[in-house]
Amino acid sequence: MIAIPFMFSVLLPTLIIVLPGLATAPESSSGGLGTMINSLPSNVRNELAGMTDQQVLVYIMSLYFFAPFFLIIPLMASSVIASDSFAGEKERKTIEALLATPISDSELFLGKTLVSFIPSMIVTVFSYLIYLTVINMASFKVFSGKLLLPNLTWIMLIVGLAPTLALASIGLAVMISARVKGFREAQQINGILLIPILALVFGQISGATILGPIMVAVLIGVFALIDISVFSVGIRMFKREEILSRLT
Amino acid sequence: MAPSIETNGLTKTFASVLAVDHLSLEVMEGEVFGLLGPNGAGKTTTIRMLACLLSPSEGSGKIAGHDVVKNASRVREIVGILTENPSLYERLTAYENMDFFAEAYNLSNPQEKQNRIRALLEFLNLWERRNDRVAKFSRGMKQKLAIARALVHNPPILFLDEPTTGLDPESAKGIRDLIESLSRYEKHTILLSTHHLEDAEKLCNRVMIINKGKSVVVGTPEELRDRIADEPVLKVTLTKLDNRIIDAVRGLEHVRRVSIDDSSTGLIITVDDTKSVTPEVVRSIVRADGMILSVNVLRPTLEDAYLKLVKEERT
Repeated sequence: MIAIPFMFSVLLPTLIIVLPGLATAPESSSGGLGTMINSLPSNVRNELAGMTDQQVLVYIMSLYFFAPFFLIIPLMASSVIASDSFAGEKERKTIEALLATPISDSELFLGKTLVSFIPSMIVTVFSYLIYLTVINMASFKVFSGKLLLPNLTWIMLIVGLAPTLALASIGLAVMISARVKGFREAQQINGILLIPILALVFGQISGATILGPIMVAVLIGVFALIDISVFSVGIRMFKREEILSRLT
Repeated sequence: MAPSIETNGLTKTFASVLAVDHLSLEVMEGEVFGLLGPNGAGKTTTIRMLACLLSPSEGSGKIAGHDVVKNASRVREIVGILTENPSLYERLTAYENMDFFAEAYNLSNPQEKQNRIRALLEFLNLWERRNDRVAKFSRGMKQKLAIARALVHNPPILFLDEPTTGLDPESAKGIRDLIESLSRYEKHTILLSTHHLEDAEKLCNRVMIINKGKSVVVGTPEELRDRIADEPVLKVTLTKLDNRIIDAVRGLEHVRRVSIDDSSTGLIITVDDTKSVTPEVVRSIVRADGMILSVNVLRPTLEDAYLKLVKEERT
């Protein structure tokens, strides 16, 4: 739960952005970014006009390259807790007493979701604040006192997209956890949920998709609809009897 | 008076396995009713259906008049359940476990909740250990805490599934004493599932022997023993035995058979009726100069009854 956020908020930004950005830029410093820059939409390329290679590196990497990684953080942070929600209780044989209480099915489902959602969002926001500090330290130097973050896209990403995406993923993970026998099985299946986000990462690197404000707003809408569907289906499919019949 | 627990043709099928087969029972308020049967007899499935954890495939179950399917939420509020496993959160302390379940059972008033938890933990001698993690508890302590958890919302009806299984004799006795006092002083209606005949014999007002999901017989432990008892038998132990004494007893009108037990100083006497014949037997032995150490009526135990009735059912 700590290693992935640390990697995306401190380690990789320091290695990829801060250190190269603060070093004296060689002539070909932006050469490695060539493919990404060439495939960027024209409006983003316009933002780069007049920037030095060093500034282009810091700008592109800080604002665009790392954005989808921050969607992985809430998924990774919640996957362990969400996978463990019902499957772990079955393994530890604590589920029967819980199911015997008068807590309603929807309360149980939502409770198990929130238990994963709250810590995952705390980790995500905290990671973002660290990332913001790291990036601004570099941009302050490279852009002569200008701070790159926060900007609109990142605020929408952290406040809107990350929570809606996390809720959809956690809802699915809790549903899976309720229907399998053990934690390992739940976590293996939940790993599949990362695939669409990884597609977004590769899309961003290749320039096929760029997370700008409009794109993020569309994704927030899409995931909000997915959240509603996941929760209505999840609560309808949540059956105490099925959970109990899958006891190991 | 309406029964506290009532089932009518209660049936549960898992795929092709018939776990509970048209089980009908009535448990009256304040009664301790035992479900007795071998492993896989359907005891746990019956309790799970009555606790609204499983839904019946057929038939109905009512708890204090509330249907277990139609009014499951209300049923869950008024029953406490000790599950087959203690089902406790081992990384939490005893107090935290109680607090969590008190909240789950809607005890929202903090003072009321605190008082109830304290009263239960003190009653079960766990108050001093309230801040210890459950993982450090012995099996007996966990079982006690699980019973405390089942009682946290003060339910009138308790389901206890194998409460003494896996416990050492001392802990098992502690749990039995506790169940006895819950029944005697707190007037809980208790449905107790067990395959420990000692539990049933000591605690239950009535027992139902079930096998392969079916009811074999219902009655008080006394009635079940009587059911398999063929003829009343007396055992008289003397300091010394001689032919004069044996002949004196054999000569009595209502004595059918007399034999000598393994110790050679005891007489096993089959009679028509123990109540009327015992004084005559004692008098005849004394007249024949016999020195009596003890007189016992030999009756089959609940274990004898259980084994015989389950065996009959199997054949």
